[in-house]
Amino acid sequence: MHLDDIRRRFARTGTLLVVGSLLVTACSGAASPTPAPSAAPSAAPSAAPSTAATPATTATPVAGGCASAATTPITLMEWDQEVREGIGPVIDQLNSEFMAANPGVTIVRQAKSFDDLKATVKLALADPNGPDVAQVNQGRPDMGAAVQAGLLLPLTSYATTYGWDKRWGAGVLARNSFSDDGKQFGTGSLYGVSITGEIVGLFYNKDKYQQLGLTIPKTFGEFEQQLATIKSKGEVPIAFGALDGDALQIYGSILETMVTPQWLNDWIYGRNNQSFNTTETKAAAAELVKLSDDGDFTKGYAGIGYDDSAKLFEAGKGVYFWTGSWEGATLTGAAGEKFGFIRVPPQTAGGTSLSIGGVGLPWSIRKTAKNPDCAAAYLDFLTSDHAMQLVAKLGVLPGHSAPNATGSSALFNEMAAAFADANSKDEVGHYLDWAFPTGWDTFKAQLAKLLAKQASPDQFVQPIDKEYQTFTASLK
Amino acid sequence: MRRPGERAWWPYAFVAPALIVYVVFIFLPVLDTIRYSFTRWDGLTAPVPVGLDNYARALADPIFLQSLGDNVAFAFWFCLLPIAIGLLITSLIARSGLPGAWLFRTAAFLPYVLSLVVVGVVWRWIYSPAFGPLNQLLTAVGLDSLARPWLGDFDFALPAVGLAGTWVEYGFVTILMIAGVQKIDEQLYEVARLDGASSWQQFLHVTLPGLRNEITVALVFTLIASFRIFDLIFVLTKGGPGNQTSVLSFFVYKSAFQYNQPGYAAAMAVILTAIILTISIVVIRWREREGAGG
Repeated sequence: MHLDDIRRRFARTGTLLVVGSLLVTACSGAASPTPAPSAAPSAAPSAAPSTAATPATTATPVAGGCASAATTPITLMEWDQEVREGIGPVIDQLNSEFMAANPGVTIVRQAKSFDDLKATVKLALADPNGPDVAQVNQGRPDMGAAVQAGLLLPLTSYATTYGWDKRWGAGVLARNSFSDDGKQFGTGSLYGVSITGEIVGLFYNKDKYQQLGLTIPKTFGEFEQQLATIKSKGEVPIAFGALDGDALQIYGSILETMVTPQWLNDWIYGRNNQSFNTTETKAAAAELVKLSDDGDFTKGYAGIGYDDSAKLFEAGKGVYFWTGSWEGATLTGAAGEKFGFIRVPPQTAGGTSLSIGGVGLPWSIRKTAKNPDCAAAYLDFLTSDHAMQLVAKLGVLPGHSAPNATGSSALFNEMAAAFADANSKDEVGHYLDWAFPTGWDTFKAQLAKLLAKQASPDQFVQPIDKEYQTFTASLK
Repeated sequence: MRRPGERAWWPYAFVAPALIVYVVFIFLPVLDTIRYSFTRWDGLTAPVPVGLDNYARALADPIFLQSLGDNVAFAFWFCLLPIAIGLLITSLIARSGLPGAWLFRTAAFLPYVLSLVVVGVVWRWIYSPAFGPLNQLLTAVGLDSLARPWLGDFDFALPAVGLAGTWVEYGFVTILMIAGVQKIDEQLYEVARLDGASSWQQFLHVTLPGLRNEITVALVFTLIASFRIFDLIFVLTKGGPGNQTSVLSFFVYKSAFQYNQPGYAAAMAVILTAIILTISIVVIRWREREGAGG
């Protein structure tokens, strides 16, 4: 073939390739479902209504911790996964404020996605040149494993010095605690402190409420009746996408309106030989299937991703959105005043009912960190009242109540009220996948089968219980 | 053949940089993986040697076997279907001299060039019951009884993911075949025509045998792809719903990074590599023998 022909062909093909790739990338940018915010199992916000006696921690960190930096500069490397809307810039701001208040201290930040951090943080903590401070996911697979490997510094003495045991209640601190051999969960030494709080509940569309004449349901039964009403009027009751595993939050929420805190704590922490094969777990499963059968979820929900379901809700294609407060920052950004938030109502009026929730990913200190005192002062600053105020202003739930920690939207205040309510009644429940290392995958797979009618409630609970029993047996 | 002034070691010098990168980032880690496969290790504390325990466990592990089964299922979508499509297209347009065929060839090849993550993102959108065009199209033409939650459907999740794979691979196979056809001697076709062969017979008896090498290459490449698949699964279904699309590489990933069992994951990775290597060797040898005989 003639040389010029070849050149012309290349030019044409090349241009087409470039244009084609650009087109495809542009199209794919339109709807990029990011991997679901895997329910960062947060600790239950323990009811810790700080009384007036608690000294408010100001923006100035306790002097002792980093005082040595004035003579010998200290560098603190921190790894976190606060990349979501709202919270990311807060960390940057807190870091600069801490550096300004502590001359000689430099904080180097490495922000990663949740999946990235989860995959790399344990190895990084084992590296002597790794981060001094890092967010390590609560629960056995991550924090538990890290404690077992001797990678994390126990923080109990700092908790006393800085008064952290007054900042959060015992229930919250328990979620970030392990025995020093890492085998017992929910007891022992404190290994991390959290900045944000979380609660799973129902976002609702205020416009639809008005249109359909709805009021806040007081019982679960009332809630179900509402769903029927909504459907009869041609609206979608619950915006829902199961593709990324959000069914666990709905199932867990239903279950936790039915169980006692005692059973739940025992089951999550692996105490007292509890079984998952109970009347309540099967009843909750049956209820979930009923909601699906009644058509209360978005049509085709099995194939819809989590982020897409949020978009559907924002667009008014759903009166309720059943998920955690972490979505709040996105929704307040949008048409903020259009949405509200309530706890999942109890089975009986005024009865006890747990709401899944807790505190966000805790921050821990590496056991071999060179400047643990300074790192602890940094942690104290990150969880101070001042930090809570910053966090609240951006529509993210703060991990503990603090004066003036209010948000700028009605939605945020409703989320905060729900959180405070659950806390004060000690009704903060757990993320079910915490109970055993393969929890997330097992629940996700079993729930998919349950909803696709490939498993009955009986067949649903059995594999979960089997995995759980195998795991707890290995702990002995 | 050396030109005057050229040293004997020059070729090695040119290859060295790439070779060093390859050794450091691929070869040595592979050796490490093999080493870890003989240990029980949680990724943090010191590894404990356990001999062939991990291998025995893998071969008896129902999840391992099921994942392998899913990989074999994907072989249909990643390998057989693209080759069939490639041959079909080749038979239609390769020698037809259609104007604009180059345009079609380029468009067909584009998917293969894309990062699989991009492919996954695009197809996740296509299949979305909420925003995707597929269900919207079906509803628009009155076929909404066929509209399903594809990636969350127990029956259709695997074919849905498979189809995305077919879309990626068919262009590569097609280009390979079309290029292969160019080198078949035109005289053979003339002879066949003079003997009264129809187009179909020409294809069967001239084109197909002439494409022997290309088909072998396509087979090997696409079979490897069906056993290596990870990116598509990670973006589209994460192995779901249930375990319908859980493939071996994804199970290896989960074992290493979520279940804290990198030793076990390493063993499974070695088994997977051995399987791919075996398949490649078998296919190549088989075609070589056929070629020598035919």
